[in-house]
Amino acid sequence: METLVFQKPSRIKKDCKVTFCPGCDHGVAIRIIAELLDELGIADKTIVVSSIGCSVFLNDYYDLDIVEAPHGRALAVATGVKRAKPDKFVFTYQGDGDFASIGLGESMHALSRGEKVTAICINNTNYGMTGGQMAPTTILGQKTTTTINGRDAEVQGYPIKICEMAAVCDGAAFVARCSLDSSKEIENTKKMIKRAFESQINGLGASVVEILSICPTNWRLSPQESHERVRRELYPVYPLGIYKDKANK
Amino acid sequence: MIKTGEKVLLKGNHALAKAALNAGCKCYFGYPITPQNEIGEYLSVEMPKMGRSFLQAESEVAAINMLLGAAATGTRAMTSSSSLAIALMQEGISYIAADNIPAVVISVMRAGPALGYIFPSQGDYFQTVKGGGNGDYKTLTLAPSTVQEMIDYTYKAFHLAHKYRTIVFLLADGMLGQMMEPAVLYDYPYEDIDNSDWALDGAKGRPGRWIGSIHRTETALEQKTLALFEKYDKIKQNEIEYETMFADDAELLITAFGSVARIAKAAVKRAREAGMKVGLFRPISLWPFPTQELNECAKGKKVVLDIEMNMGQMVEDVKIAVNGESKVEFFGRPAGYYFTPEEIYTQIEKTMEGLK
Repeated sequence: METLVFQKPSRIKKDCKVTFCPGCDHGVAIRIIAELLDELGIADKTIVVSSIGCSVFLNDYYDLDIVEAPHGRALAVATGVKRAKPDKFVFTYQGDGDFASIGLGESMHALSRGEKVTAICINNTNYGMTGGQMAPTTILGQKTTTTINGRDAEVQGYPIKICEMAAVCDGAAFVARCSLDSSKEIENTKKMIKRAFESQINGLGASVVEILSICPTNWRLSPQESHERVRRELYPVYPLGIYKDKANK
Repeated sequence: MIKTGEKVLLKGNHALAKAALNAGCKCYFGYPITPQNEIGEYLSVEMPKMGRSFLQAESEVAAINMLLGAAATGTRAMTSSSSLAIALMQEGISYIAADNIPAVVISVMRAGPALGYIFPSQGDYFQTVKGGGNGDYKTLTLAPSTVQEMIDYTYKAFHLAHKYRTIVFLLADGMLGQMMEPAVLYDYPYEDIDNSDWALDGAKGRPGRWIGSIHRTETALEQKTLALFEKYDKIKQNEIEYETMFADDAELLITAFGSVARIAKAAVKRAREAGMKVGLFRPISLWPFPTQELNECAKGKKVVLDIEMNMGQMVEDVKIAVNGESKVEFFGRPAGYYFTPEEIYTQIEKTMEGLK
């Protein structure tokens, strides 16, 4: 007798061609979200807000209702969707530049309003699609195509800490930072996203999951070296953990 | 609550807001700016009572993108703003146009450039009709000239937005927004338009839908824009609207839109009483512009006198329309003072004198 041990989540397109760079973490994040939509039984009522950057191509992968937001405006668009259709499940999928640089205003205000939406923020500490320029999250000393000698606090200032900022918003119900650098952390990330989704389903407020992710192409590292870099260099600056959880106060 | 059909004294911005509610506007997103604040203030009180969503956004940039989100679900929704703040919305306007989704933007013009002041102005004809966002797109634009028309064209704006799945501007100005005059509020006269074949509501029992503007092949991108312009052709065929007064036998034809057209009417009537052959052509749809209609109307005229509360914006479309059928002169002043009928009458006299 055959036993099915592995299959694609129902809302990953059957014929999708993955166009992310080899080793990129986006594919993992996209998959675990799709698994959760199945497990929670909410795919039928989900409206996704895609954003600008590598995250713009969601419709290549998801067989879901998706609206593309202009750069930085994902949480404003999500607000509009949710206010128009309060019974739908709404999440954004954004990069750190989208969420915390050009869109920081929209992000903080949506969180402060307690919009019942979830933001998934892929933080790879650079602008991946445009070729690896400095991002709001680029850590001190990190070399990018616009900080070739490394980010210097005197010149470019300090990196923005998404979860720490999100957690101070009274309307934020669940805020967590996780990573995709190992199978253990992938499992944990899935748990964090699940709790964020549940906080929306339970009407507790806004939720954010910041996912430390790799960009091997622009980091000029192999995928393995990239994941090592996450543990070695990013963990100390961006500690993993739950920063806020209204459900377990 | 006003009884339908009753003639009451109404402020322009309030009339517009009441009409938006009658038109079934379920979501409003906006940010304060004078001279349109009464719209948001009124809706902030009334919409929650009706179980609808009023949201004061953190910026105009956020407001237009909230509108985009609501529009993607097929929900009747709008924003209102003014001039320098409409400037902030231009990226979102381009996206909404490219996305083929229905949205209403109320633009109550104030004086620019930049901060300028809250005086009435028509300085944003270019901003609205020619677009400030990027790429090939058009914004269907309706220009009311009375408080009654604030109601009429708010209704029409919602209707056309959903009929064509496009962004529609109602282009008013501080004078129309702030003035009070008798008007009749009546029931929304248009039928509901089914959006179940495109709106996002969760992909239940059907494939997922995508609303977006990125197309990664030359062919796909070109086809997308060509399809957009096929739609614009239909709008041009069906939705051009204009008004004429004493135009047939006029030697001097005034072109004016919005509140200036209304002031010009008083001057035209007075000129007729004085025996001058003066008429008026008032475009109501600024895009699509009544190009062919104005061309016909301008035939045989000695002069077309375009009057605007700006330094000459619609006059460019007037010249394209007239296309040499008559000479075209421009009379305008930048925002600050609005025209008096006397001022326009004097200009008519001067222009008629020049024809001798």
